[in-house]
Amino acid sequence: MQANRKLLKDLTPELEKTSTGWYITFIVLLGFFLIGIYGLIQQIDKGHIVTGMRDNVVWGFYIVNFIFFMGLSYSGALISGVLHLFNTGWRKPVIRLAELITVISLVIGPFFIFFCIGRLDRLYFLFTHPRIQSPITWDVIAICTDLIGCFIYLYLSFIEDFAILRDYEDLRVAPWKRRLYKTLSLGYNGTPKQEKLLSTARKVMSSMIIAIAIIVYSVLAWIFGVTLQPGWHSTIFGPYFVIAAVFSGTGLLIILMWIFRKIYHLEEYITKRHFVNVGVLLTIIAAFYGYFTFSDYLTKWYGSIKMDSILIDKLFSEYYSLFIFANYIGILIPGIIIALPRFRTIPNITIAAVIAVLALWVNRYIIVIPTLETPFLPIQDVRSAWIKYTPTWIEWSLTFAGVAIFIMLFMLISKIAPIISISEMQEEDKEEILK
Amino acid sequence: MKSNISKLFTSILLISVFSAPVFSQDRTIISPYISLQYFKNSEDHRYLQTTLTYVSNRIEFPLSGMEITFYTGSEGKDLLGTALTNEQGIATFDLPENSSLPKDNDGLWAFYTDFTGNDTIETVKADLLIRDVKLEMILSVVDTVKTVTLSALKSENNKDVPVSGEVVMLYVPRMFSLLPVAEAPLDDNGTAYIEFPSDIPGDAEGNITVISKFEEHPDFGNVERRVVIKWGVSFVNTSPAAHRALWTKTPPWWMIITLSILLIGVWGHYLFAVISLIRIKRESEKQKKLKIRQ
Repeated sequence: MQANRKLLKDLTPELEKTSTGWYITFIVLLGFFLIGIYGLIQQIDKGHIVTGMRDNVVWGFYIVNFIFFMGLSYSGALISGVLHLFNTGWRKPVIRLAELITVISLVIGPFFIFFCIGRLDRLYFLFTHPRIQSPITWDVIAICTDLIGCFIYLYLSFIEDFAILRDYEDLRVAPWKRRLYKTLSLGYNGTPKQEKLLSTARKVMSSMIIAIAIIVYSVLAWIFGVTLQPGWHSTIFGPYFVIAAVFSGTGLLIILMWIFRKIYHLEEYITKRHFVNVGVLLTIIAAFYGYFTFSDYLTKWYGSIKMDSILIDKLFSEYYSLFIFANYIGILIPGIIIALPRFRTIPNITIAAVIAVLALWVNRYIIVIPTLETPFLPIQDVRSAWIKYTPTWIEWSLTFAGVAIFIMLFMLISKIAPIISISEMQEEDKEEILK
Repeated sequence: MKSNISKLFTSILLISVFSAPVFSQDRTIISPYISLQYFKNSEDHRYLQTTLTYVSNRIEFPLSGMEITFYTGSEGKDLLGTALTNEQGIATFDLPENSSLPKDNDGLWAFYTDFTGNDTIETVKADLLIRDVKLEMILSVVDTVKTVTLSALKSENNKDVPVSGEVVMLYVPRMFSLLPVAEAPLDDNGTAYIEFPSDIPGDAEGNITVISKFEEHPDFGNVERRVVIKWGVSFVNTSPAAHRALWTKTPPWWMIITLSILLIGVWGHYLFAVISLIRIKRESEKQKKLKIRQ
């Protein structure tokens, strides 16, 4: 398979040579990652007492991060699946990023569950003694199924690019990379039969990946929804979580588009049009997300169930600033920035996306923590530190390590494969010529 | 000159950084609270209990692992022994038989406890005067009425004298705490009669434990009597209907069927994708063979 030389050079900037900036960034991130590893060793050595989690608040930063990363993953799957299935014209430069967000987040997310488990040595019980009745078992099955599905989907989208890289003779890469491209391309030559097989498989998997993303994130939401806790026992948690996930994932997609565009000078491929289109998507989802949030809290507030009322009072007092940021600023500001054409510049859209992603993380925090700080059974004469959750440096370090490894994996993948699909962009080129 | 100034600033910085912990060491001395209590249980076993705590930010915290010393004696202090406080800050000391405990002229036992303190905790002491009391409880049915008869005698001038005008509490233990059943004031004969309610749930056989108590009495301390009797309403504790939980060994059929359909559906599509990949590979091998033949 042959490719446009310019396209190939532009879309694989780190494939042949590694820039100094790449090394510096990688080392800095590695530093964050190692601090996280040190924190983890401390936690394993001294136990969970080194975290802010206690008898009441048994879920802290780790679960917040788990939900957040899983949300990013499912949203990546949903976005890429929808864009591919409906053959959206402008999808080509962004679809690979969405696919990568899916897989990388899905690999990182479950690690936060491992950090949260007190007896990791009993982890295999989940597989040897599963109880289908338990939502935790549903989650294990769902995540495993999703992980494999996403890997297959990502691989299908890479085959054509691997074939292009295999056949590109001027490519100056290590022999092991050439062997890798040869093996992973499965001898794909773009014959009509192969094209048809690949296209059908991708279509099937893209539709499947949409369904899985919705089901799997709903399962995660049901872990909360089926629990009789103030604020969690809600019938709309499934769709609410799915919408929230897509909101954060779309935001992250914009941020990554901006980063890769800036670093690898992809201005020609990722244009303002792409930012505006994904930005409009973000605004629409923000509206849905705001609607779900309002609906959830309104029904709880109007219901006036004692514990729900206590929780809402707490959200509007102790967690006032976080609540306002997550549910007002995080929804309205991105919406306003993108909805008004005069504000619709690439930096503004990126800022809106950063606000959206941060707000979503805070939203997860105020879903998990205040509820656990509001138990049904009153607790008297207990140290405030046992009821009130405050994250320790170990939890912070592992959170930053998670973010660091997310970026590092993106960087490592950019050393092996194109971060924008060459084959898709070639098709776009052909379409442009035909026009 | 510049280098001297920078050396001076560096020295000041280093000194302030390294001396900060020394100056900032918090040498606050804890002023603990101590309380001494006397207990006599249903088997006439006596013991002293000392609680050592301190208050910080209006919250009371226990002081555990502290050595508490116990004394007795009316004229001089005779060492009884020592005990360490547990995690609740409580140290318990079992008293020897009452015959060996010296009484004062009024027939009172004097007990003392102290914590000698250390570098960070101040010394504290407490004392207590106790008069021995014999509390009796007889449970009988009088004309079909379940009646509790309480009598109390105190020791005065080596004689047993009825305790009059004092209140004895009657309890039945429940799951989390003691259920107060009655407050019984003792008459001039040191006796009280209480009609026991007939609707208190007991175990499967109707057994309940009836407890009568002098509670933190200034003269008698904590003295109790316990009797187990079939005066309760028989109550078989069946598991509550598990309508909120799925505790059955096997999941419900609808769940198995739904999950199976979902998993078969999803994994079937995965299989289709994998088969497509295999066919792509085979197609390339076929092409290769064709090329070789040509």
